[in-house]
Amino acid sequence: MDAMQEIAFSLDTTGKCCPMPMVETNQAIKALAVGEVLEIIATDIGTRKDIPSWCERTGQTLLASSEHGKELRFYVRKNR
Amino acid sequence: MKTLAIVVRDDAYDKILTPLAFAYLAAAEGTQVDMLFVNWAVKALTADGAAALRIDGRHAAEEARVREGVARAGLPTDIYEVIKALKATGCVNLYACSLAAAIFGVDEHNLIPEAEGIVGAAWFLNDKAARAEHSQYF
Repeated sequence: MDAMQEIAFSLDTTGKCCPMPMVETNQAIKALAVGEVLEIIATDIGTRKDIPSWCERTGQTLLASSEHGKELRFYVRKNR
Repeated sequence: MKTLAIVVRDDAYDKILTPLAFAYLAAAEGTQVDMLFVNWAVKALTADGAAALRIDGRHAAEEARVREGVARAGLPTDIYEVIKALKATGCVNLYACSLAAAIFGVDEHNLIPEAEGIVGAAWFLNDKAARAEHSQYF
């Protein structure tokens, strides 16, 4: 995904653990306009399931995700 | 989930973190969370009581390590600060059980301003827990 061109905000939760990555993700998405892309960087492996299920539950689109070493990245398009 | 009711009984520092974290997660998504603090946990709704919370007995020697872990996770290590963060979401109501308040020394003078008040358990169980989409007990 060519998300780097579209990222409106990058949220770095590196080192933080549940509940903070999800709390901060919810806060970050509120600040975006519909259609904008949020990048979430995380090291909490709980986000592997937390972020996709949160997208589905809240009506956002998970455009892509990746995992390199201990770092996880998610690209979420705000739909609502 | 639109509504969540949580009853918190245990006041050990490590054990109270879970209901507070769950409330924080739910509230962050806009879920209305109502929490009733019963038994010793009612002390967490006082400034002195929140500051005095300690790790549960058999893990007491690991208190410093646990607090460091909490800080690394991004949460305030002070329970009162966690409660303030919950209130800042605008989605969390905190209630002290009247029986617990009477037994464990909590009244309207030492209750933290973030708490909604001291209430009867019957009201909470019927008007909050029974009507919530989900209820949890810790």
